[in-house]
Amino acid sequence: MPELRKDPIIGRWVIIATERSKRPDQFTAQAEQEPVEKPCPFCEGKEKETPPEIYAIRPRNNPANAPGWDLRVVPSIAPFLRIEGDLDRRGDGLYDLMNGIGAHEIIIETNQHIANMADLSDEQIAKVIACYRDRVLDLEKDKRFKYVLIFKNYGWAAGSGRIKHTRSQIIATPVNPKRVKEELVGARHYYEYHERCVFCDLIRQELETKDRLILDIDGYIAISPFASRFPFEAWILPKKHSCDFTNLEMASRLDLARILRKTLAKLKKGLNDPPYNYVIHTAPFKRPKVGYWKSIDHDYHWHIEIMPRLTRVAGFEWGTGFYICPLPPEDAAKFLREVAV
Amino acid sequence: MSELRRDPIGGRWVIVNTDHPSKPEEFEYEPRTFRGGTCPFCYGNEAMTPPEIEAIRDPHTSPNTPGWQVRVVPNKFPALQIEGELDRRGSGMYDMSNGVGAHEVLLETPYHQKDIYDLSGEEVEKFLSMYCRRTVDLIKDKRFKYIMIFKNYGAAAGASLEHPHTQIVALPMVPKNAMEEIRGAHHYFNYRERCLFCDMIRQEKEEKKRIILENKYFLSFCPFVSRFPFEICIIPKKHNGFFYEISAEELPALAVILKDTIIKLKKIFPNASYNFIIHSSPINGDSDTEYYHWHIEFMPKLTRVAGFEWGSGVYVVATPPELSAKFLREA
Repeated sequence: MPELRKDPIIGRWVIIATERSKRPDQFTAQAEQEPVEKPCPFCEGKEKETPPEIYAIRPRNNPANAPGWDLRVVPSIAPFLRIEGDLDRRGDGLYDLMNGIGAHEIIIETNQHIANMADLSDEQIAKVIACYRDRVLDLEKDKRFKYVLIFKNYGWAAGSGRIKHTRSQIIATPVNPKRVKEELVGARHYYEYHERCVFCDLIRQELETKDRLILDIDGYIAISPFASRFPFEAWILPKKHSCDFTNLEMASRLDLARILRKTLAKLKKGLNDPPYNYVIHTAPFKRPKVGYWKSIDHDYHWHIEIMPRLTRVAGFEWGTGFYICPLPPEDAAKFLREVAV
Repeated sequence: MSELRRDPIGGRWVIVNTDHPSKPEEFEYEPRTFRGGTCPFCYGNEAMTPPEIEAIRDPHTSPNTPGWQVRVVPNKFPALQIEGELDRRGSGMYDMSNGVGAHEVLLETPYHQKDIYDLSGEEVEKFLSMYCRRTVDLIKDKRFKYIMIFKNYGAAAGASLEHPHTQIVALPMVPKNAMEEIRGAHHYFNYRERCLFCDMIRQEKEEKKRIILENKYFLSFCPFVSRFPFEICIIPKKHNGFFYEISAEELPALAVILKDTIIKLKKIFPNASYNFIIHSSPINGDSDTEYYHWHIEFMPKLTRVAGFEWGSGVYVVATPPELSAKFLREA
């Protein structure tokens, strides 16, 4: 009998289609026809091919936009949102709109031409994490922005382009995005009722039952969420409560890098290098104004959501927001636990 | 400068690329192809499917034999199962239920290679009328709270079968997106005592710039807040919350506007995959139809959804709906 499961944070129902489920190893990525690779503008020595850098880690203090860097951040050449101008909120009859103000940056995670973050060292990923934090703190200074979303597209099916050089993206938005708002509202609601953080409760239950646990190392856990939308969806959460990713302590960055690399490496090895997306969900900028609440420090808990792109999202999912996951997360977690990395 | 637009129904913000809008030839979409092989849904292969639930067929032909025009069969791999009582329960902090529901496959035509644009108006009308007949039948089951009618056309849109078909799913709860739309419309109604969708139709007819096609009973337009380029909404001009209550006069008009909209889309994007979904009021509950207005959401599959969209729920639309509508009007 298939199961209907409800996400405890935002209340979304998913169908876990146990009856027709394939074995976990039958989900491995197909050798899809990836389009031809473009010459890479992100490798060391090609600095002039990108817009001028915003940020870089240069251990020998070389000049900007020249070789000798470990990591670089540049503006997107095709930004969704632009940095210059005012928001100019307005109405048009029934409809509301504002100017597309925001920031859109590309984090080039290494000077080597490596495609998958899973193949970087823990130390290099720790630098990427430190960079995420620095960029968020810098963008927070711009009072027009409400939220910063850090995300990654790996592989064509995950929306990445023709350049195969591992990178992440950062987008600062002048509104709180819908998905984030739903989580914030759901977490606050749970807190009002239980006076506990929903994510802390979730971590406790996952550590107890262990059915959906992928990794439990160094203060972090990786799990297959109870109401997974996609096969092999994985979340990484810090065991210690914190609503804000930027509060991450120095020592903890390497620990986060380790669990992130291991989780990505398990996906790569176990599922034939599948395309994937990940996003970091953290608290919005703390600005005492409309829409901000006092309990957020207690009720919200930052985390990373990893979504391998092994199945296609169809009309049913788009229209209803009701996902059919063809693999029980318990089976996905068991499979990933057993992949040695 | 691009624009941020807010959906008046669900409150979703989208980013519309008004700066350098993508032209139709710039989309690199996966074209629909035929793999071939034996199709269990083709004429003559009736024995290969589970026994039919309902069909429109020639007089004096028996079920599960040739002689049909539209045929409905249970999904062989149902996402939900019809048997059993709904058993909602908890597991620690988690809530769950057994997967009770119905999952049917509606074969729109006996012909494997025909899509809606190849069918006559009457043929389209026939399978649309079957949508209503199935809904009326499924409503009798009081366990069901929502009937979802949707079509996945082409592998890129998630279709695993090639034969032209629509899926009908009866759910024991109202899905999240439907609930959000209904809440948004309810909120608007409480404030203005008018239907939000009726107001939207009025504004679209005045401004005209997002309209693709119009006939006596229906409007086909690119919504102000689209999630995808060339997204289309087909809506009845007469207020009604339930699709299955469509009148005998409206049905042929819907068949024509649906067919003509798809013909226009096909002219611009040959072999593009698409999804469409019928949004209608929940059933077997205390739903009030005063403030909700049924409609069809039509989404061509031209782009890939990436991490930003998944993580934020904010969609980036490469072609403004005003421009999409213009291309479609002129196609």
